[in-house]
Amino acid sequence: MGSAKLDGQVQSEWRWLIAAYLFLAGVGGGAYMAGVIADLTGGAEWMLVSKIGVFLGVPCVLIGTFFLLADLGTPTHAWRVWMKPGTSWIARGTIIIVIFMILAAIHTAFWIWPFAGPLEANESARHFIGVFGSIFAFLTVIYTGLLLGYSQPIALWRTALLPVLFFVSAVSTGLMAIMIIAQSMGVAVAQLDVMENIDAVILIFELFVLIVYLYNAYRTLESRPSAQRILRGPVASYFWLGVVMCGLAIPLILELLGRHGAILTIGALLGLFGGLCLRFTILVGGIFTPITASGFVFARVHRPKDPMPAMGKLPPC
Amino acid sequence: MARYGMVIDLNRCYGCYACAMACKVANRTPPGVFWARVLRGEMGTFPNSVRQALPVLCNQCEEPDCMKVCPTGATYKTDDGIVRVDKDKCIGCAYCVMGCPYGARYKVDDWNSYFPEGLPLSPYEEHTKEFWEQKSGLGVSTKCDFCIDRRAEGKEPACVQACSAKARVFGDLDDPDSEISYLIKTKRGFVLRPEVGTEPKVYYLPPR
Repeated sequence: MGSAKLDGQVQSEWRWLIAAYLFLAGVGGGAYMAGVIADLTGGAEWMLVSKIGVFLGVPCVLIGTFFLLADLGTPTHAWRVWMKPGTSWIARGTIIIVIFMILAAIHTAFWIWPFAGPLEANESARHFIGVFGSIFAFLTVIYTGLLLGYSQPIALWRTALLPVLFFVSAVSTGLMAIMIIAQSMGVAVAQLDVMENIDAVILIFELFVLIVYLYNAYRTLESRPSAQRILRGPVASYFWLGVVMCGLAIPLILELLGRHGAILTIGALLGLFGGLCLRFTILVGGIFTPITASGFVFARVHRPKDPMPAMGKLPPC
Repeated sequence: MARYGMVIDLNRCYGCYACAMACKVANRTPPGVFWARVLRGEMGTFPNSVRQALPVLCNQCEEPDCMKVCPTGATYKTDDGIVRVDKDKCIGCAYCVMGCPYGARYKVDDWNSYFPEGLPLSPYEEHTKEFWEQKSGLGVSTKCDFCIDRRAEGKEPACVQACSAKARVFGDLDDPDSEISYLIKTKRGFVLRPEVGTEPKVYYLPPR
């Protein structure tokens, strides 16, 4: 390999719009799954929490898909996205999110006025839809990790840990979204406590997955430039301030303190912001593996200007 | 049917960028878009180091990753093995940009001026933009097609014709008597990133 650094070109096509979609799909899918679990395992007192989670599913994912459309070069052709589901994760993914939104909308209808009368009492049908919808919520959350992992040249994404990381982050951000709304709707303190404790455990697990993910990225020669870019490169401010401080450390400390009111809301909002930063960090941390041949590592000499500014200078989003 | 490929002799290439410029002229690519480009590599530590140029372009793979990830089927392979993008089917999702192991894909949102910001397009640029919109389209993914228009006129691809070192040879890989088949067989021709399994059709001859 010689002394040449493995220094490739930075991925610059997928940025805030895609990060916003990944984040919103995560919140929607995670909140839906949490809502269904609350319905299946909790008693009548968990009904409101369950409703909040299920109700969050469709709007979050739907808003997310608008971000996806906005990122397309020719949004008017977007319907073509279903033409080749055989090998493309974008095609498969859009099918998954459409099925999820349909199921979640049916589930939501159980509690909405014209349908609520005959359906609300039918608990087994609701549970059935819930389990079925949760499967697609799960797929909605993890398929994006598989989609990124299918990219040959970007070694940072090419790992089985990415879907795991997205899943854990989705559940924790989904729970945070539920907690914010649940508190404002006057859910009992005991239930908020339970949710806070569960979320704290998930956050600790997320921290663990994130450490393993970045350690792995650093240990792999191809993805080391990406790991360096995230840990101490131009993306580091988003990572340390956004993901680690806002997304993990502060919410975890506030949840372990077990306070309610404004403190809970602030912690959860920061956690949601951290979830968005996590997606953005992983997207813009992507670096194309340089080509090697005959013992040379080939880098682009006149590479386009790195769209990320130097560390410490956050650009207007 | 022919199966077109290219051989690039790294022993001959001295990195003059004529291929990159000829491609720009022939295909009217906007700023920042290089269907043909030249990479630079270095081996060893100074003073015992060697530098080498590597001209790259779309490898027209037999098993293209960009075609696998394309959700709409806009990426397709012609009968003679050229990978092309149907601009009317492409939605501009940029998944192929992420999927191509050779960095040969460019999503072009707008044909911006080569001149400093704020200036309107010059008349020449207007013409160039029009050509680009008709052939490659805006808001879609674009890539090298081995100069399909020039080949229709019986010419070689622009990068091959422009190569001042005669390092590039274009031809039919299926024809065992063609010059490129001979070069690949006798001069240890290799492809870039064979581990990816895309079976590229652009071959390289070793630098020395």
